Amino acid sequence: MSSGRDDGMSDEREEPENTAPGSTDGATPGSTDGTTPHEHRAHEHAAPPVTGRQRLVAGLWPPRLSRAQLTVAVLLFVLGLGLAIQVSSTSDSGGALRGARKEDLVRILTELDNRTQRLEDEKRGLESQRSELETSSNQAAEALKQTQAKAQQLGVLAGTVAAQGPGITLTITDPKGGVEADSLLDTLQELRAAGAEAIQINDVRVVADTYFTEGADGVLIDGHKVAQPYEFKVIGNPQDLEPALNIPGGVVQTLEKEQATADVVRSQKIVVSALRPSKQPDYARSSSQ
Amino acid sequence: MIAVLGLVVGVVVGLVVRPVVPTGVEPYLPIAVVAALDAVFGGLRAMLDGIFDDKVFVVSFLSNVVVAALIVFLGDKLGVGAQLSTGVVVVLGIRIFSNAAAIRRHVFRA
Repeated sequence: MSSGRDDGMSDEREEPENTAPGSTDGATPGSTDGTTPHEHRAHEHAAPPVTGRQRLVAGLWPPRLSRAQLTVAVLLFVLGLGLAIQVSSTSDSGGALRGARKEDLVRILTELDNRTQRLEDEKRGLESQRSELETSSNQAAEALKQTQAKAQQLGVLAGTVAAQGPGITLTITDPKGGVEADSLLDTLQELRAAGAEAIQINDVRVVADTYFTEGADGVLIDGHKVAQPYEFKVIGNPQDLEPALNIPGGVVQTLEKEQATADVVRSQKIVVSALRPSKQPDYARSSSQ
Repeated sequence: MIAVLGLVVGVVVGLVVRPVVPTGVEPYLPIAVVAALDAVFGGLRAMLDGIFDDKVFVVSFLSNVVVAALIVFLGDKLGVGAQLSTGVVVVLGIRIFSNAAAIRRHVFRA
């Protein structure tokens, strides 16, 4: 826009709404009480027209304490205040929700509720999973314990672990050599019938497949040469074991007929410490599971 | 000059004091600020045109703010508050731009 346009606008100042309708809020179309425009107009008619830039500079400097300046200052103060408040409240970190509208807040709240719901569901699922795992691991531990106890019992029977407990010690001394394998087998069967749980003869552990054979110079148990005297360490109830050996016509009397002596001593602690290696069967497999 | 000083003092006071805005007024403050900005640009243009009048400026400033807040209030009551405040901001923005263009022509002659 040229400066000629400014002159034209100055001429048309009586009807400023024609040039810029609705956009000059501070304008005074046909103002009667605004003294300044009249002065300006008189001034312009006399002298070269005053441009907008000159008016701006004249308004800024020198500072004048006029009513218009004060009024505008008060309003601009209010504007600056509102601007600063709004900017600072918007730039607050926690103020993201301060300026939010009611429906936005409702939406945000609903979203948060949904999120909480989802997280609660997830938490519940994880908790039930955890309790499940705890229960199952408890069951597994219990099963392991029972299995270990079972393995111990079977180990005692199979002779792969040492055993201790109350029982008796039977010592057979046979200086004449009259005690043969069948006598020892009879003794063993008598002890088993009386409830012996773990038996050791000298340093050989007696198990289910123990066998007695006659060797060239004595008895072999499971192929091992066993020297005299034969010492049976037997774990079981002493009150059952001792009478079982001592009954009339029983093991002790039979051995005495063979010119051998048999001593039975009760004890509260018999240790059966001879072991057998555990054998893995070649063909038989556990049918459970 | 005093008017510019008033604006600066207002900004400084607002930043330093950080007054607490009542929650009832809070949603209307941004719209009111934009409306006031529009009035200020209009007044600046009028001054450059040489037709500035403080009485008209005061009335336009206050009515701008009140009407903008009223529209937003009404929109909130009608359930279209977000859309109406957007509309108010758009209209005021257009006016601010056209006023700024007029001011620019005065100051830079272009």
